[in-house]
Amino acid sequence: MNNPRGNQRRPRRDKENQMPRKKRTCRFCDAKEVYIDYKDEKRLQRFVTEQGKIIPKRITGTCAKHQRQLVQAIKRARHLALLPFVSDTIR
Amino acid sequence: MDKSKPLYETTFIINASLDDAQIENVVSRVVDTITKNGGGVTATNKWGRKRLAYSINKKTNGFYVNLEFEAPPTLLSLLERSYQLDEMILRYLTISLDSKALAAKAAAAAALPIEAPIPVPAREPLFKENDDAAKKE
Repeated sequence: MNNPRGNQRRPRRDKENQMPRKKRTCRFCDAKEVYIDYKDEKRLQRFVTEQGKIIPKRITGTCAKHQRQLVQAIKRARHLALLPFVSDTIR
Repeated sequence: MDKSKPLYETTFIINASLDDAQIENVVSRVVDTITKNGGGVTATNKWGRKRLAYSINKKTNGFYVNLEFEAPPTLLSLLERSYQLDEMILRYLTISLDSKALAAKAAAAAALPIEAPIPVPAREPLFKENDDAAKKE
């Protein structure tokens, strides 16, 4: 257990008491993006981890439609050595 | 747009250890294979020498060239064959530009002329009589 409070019980949170979670929105929808370009590696870099893995949409908040496009763009960029398959620091 | 000649986009990486004349030679060879087989190049973008994200054939740098062309679909197999035979080409990618890509391209082209440099207004002193901030600068 990684609970810093040890075995202490976590205070219950009621609905009103809950921390307001910030709603993530799809960045591509916000920008009204129709096409995600594989050539724009700087943009794509924000959607891969340091290791070079694609970040799941549940983390980034990207919508399903754009995540599919994004994944294709990242894979194309990897093929052209614009993005790494595995980052240098890990190898 | 002609239905029999859809738009394609191809990007390839040339061995960067060649000198510029040789690179030009490789590019013109690729353009030749497109034009000789019933296609037409509509745009050429040379991104120049770039560092590869990982080594390909033990090379860490490559010269990137991006071509946009319209061609009958039968040309693609010929083009990719010629890429494979060319030892100076490390990697290639050919994609067809779908309606979404074309829409994005048209939007980018439309947005570009508007992007005029915004004139930066000259700094006006906050207090006309006693402008300490301006003296500090």
